[in-house]
Amino acid sequence: MALDNVSFSIKKGEFVLIVGSSGSGKSTLLNMIGLLDHPTQGKVMIDGFDTSNLTDNEVSEFRNKKLGFVFQFANLLADLTVLENVLLPSQIQFDSSNILDKAKMILEQVGLGDQLYKRANKISGGQAQRAAIARGLVNNPTIVLADEPTGNLDSVTAENVVQLMKKMAKELNQTFIVVTHERAQFGSVDRVITVKDGRVFEGDHSTKMEVIA
Amino acid sequence: MDYRLHLAKRMLVNKRGSLIGAVLAVSIGILVINVNFVIFQGIYDAIIRDMSEYRFGDIYVYDEEKSTIEKSDIVLINWFERIPGVEAATPRLEASATAETRILGQQHEKFNTPVLGVDPISDIRTSTIHETVGDGQYVYARNSIVVGESVASDLGGCSRGGSFMSSGTDPTVTGDADMGECQPVRVGDSVKLTITDQWGIDQKKRFVVTGISGTAGGQGFDRSVIIHIDTLRDMLDRSGESRSIMVRLQESATPNDAKQIKNLFLQAFPNDNLRAETIEESAESTLSGFRSGIAMINLIGYFGMGSSAFAILTIQMMLVNSKTREIGIMRAIGATRKDILILFIMQGMIIGAMGAGAGTAMGLGYTTYAKITNMEFQGSLALEVNYNWHKIGETAFLAFILAMIASIYPSYRATKKQPVEAMRTV
Repeated sequence: MALDNVSFSIKKGEFVLIVGSSGSGKSTLLNMIGLLDHPTQGKVMIDGFDTSNLTDNEVSEFRNKKLGFVFQFANLLADLTVLENVLLPSQIQFDSSNILDKAKMILEQVGLGDQLYKRANKISGGQAQRAAIARGLVNNPTIVLADEPTGNLDSVTAENVVQLMKKMAKELNQTFIVVTHERAQFGSVDRVITVKDGRVFEGDHSTKMEVIA
Repeated sequence: MDYRLHLAKRMLVNKRGSLIGAVLAVSIGILVINVNFVIFQGIYDAIIRDMSEYRFGDIYVYDEEKSTIEKSDIVLINWFERIPGVEAATPRLEASATAETRILGQQHEKFNTPVLGVDPISDIRTSTIHETVGDGQYVYARNSIVVGESVASDLGGCSRGGSFMSSGTDPTVTGDADMGECQPVRVGDSVKLTITDQWGIDQKKRFVVTGISGTAGGQGFDRSVIIHIDTLRDMLDRSGESRSIMVRLQESATPNDAKQIKNLFLQAFPNDNLRAETIEESAESTLSGFRSGIAMINLIGYFGMGSSAFAILTIQMMLVNSKTREIGIMRAIGATRKDILILFIMQGMIIGAMGAGAGTAMGLGYTTYAKITNMEFQGSLALEVNYNWHKIGETAFLAFILAMIASIYPSYRATKKQPVEAMRTV
């Protein structure tokens, strides 16, 4: 069992780190929060909404409107430009209202204002991760979920990406849940959840681990 | 533009090899059908064209019971030529004769041959058989004769021992000419015809060869001789009689016009035992078997198109597999299974549209080439090439639909990929 007896809640605007060693279940936990995976028991509540009874289409719509994703490898679509990648979540929900301006503005904020029309596979790893953050934010999601967002970056670029996420979280009052095994890179955050052997504990790893269920 | 169409286009453009392969598969399928159509429909139409031009016209009139029409041909022709849409009409009379040539006073060749009697003045307005006279001129004089190429060869002894002599001619050969003497009858030579009249009496007449008629395709009079109809009437003692009336309509006339004029004619002459047929009816027995052949060839062409659909299915499966990660990303950021399905079906539609366009262009190119060059194969019948827009459009549409259908299964497979697993694909 990847996760067992896990229960916690996160407040709006919190920047939460989920840490743990490899195989501890932290990515599984993130996938469940992101509705990419389903718990065999229990439920995930987002914005007070029980997601356990949603159909496949409703899950897709929910992910699109309420969740933003940032993956370890950025996962931009190589066939599209940076701007088109950022526009994609809005286009999926057919929301074309001012979306172009908004996408450009977010890309400006993440420092990619001069890279709008470059193909996604023609920019650097750090730039791609910035574009992924912009894509995660473009639909004003309830939560941005980041799975090892710095795992594939050198230390300088990783630091920049971390600062960017923190900055966006603060400026937009945006909830971030970040899975990482590079705890030190993130410095001070609102909250840390440690996953060990499929169970969660509040705070950094310590001998005084406490189940928050 | 719908983002799925945009993305489908981009995905294809970035996989040019697959795109070109799939488009070629569709376009070659269309090209094969177009080439088949140009060749086999071209031969079919060419046979109809020649039958119409040389033998039956657009409407063919004959007596249902007797071998000749006793009613004056002038009456019938005048009736037809008063009808709007009719270009001309001409009488024809047919018989069988024994043809004979002599060299240095010695009988050289003698055999039976069909004889066609024509009125040269009205015939050249109704038929194009006079245009097949490549050497000399048509039968404008009463004692002139146009000899078909095969008959000319036979009269010169050229086909002795060959297979032609057995095809309806009497292989009676006199003289001891060897192959060195083999020279076809030429313009200016004389030929004697012996025809048995309606009373059973042989009538002999010597003619001067004024022309040699040669046609490709077997619908002409290569194995006959043509003489003036009045001369033939005299020899048969059938003054004013005709075997048939051949009617030519104006170029703008449609097959429906031909039917209407035919029916009008039959209403006008209800008690004369006359039968009238449009060219389609006249050619029916000759072409019914050929049509089955064309249907079979078309079927093979459509099987070819079916094969191209399999090629598209394979290429689409490859495209889907190569885009597994992208599918996972799209699903993660909110695309539904339906979005993914539509995305890849749109890819199929793009392939189908491009393939249909390219295939139709290639097919039209081939059709135009065949039309401009009066395409024929090794001196045989020149194809009658037409732009059949209905057929061209139907083939392109079918190819488009097939490409789309062939994309359904790969698209469905794409929708079955789970986001997390799909994104792990490198």
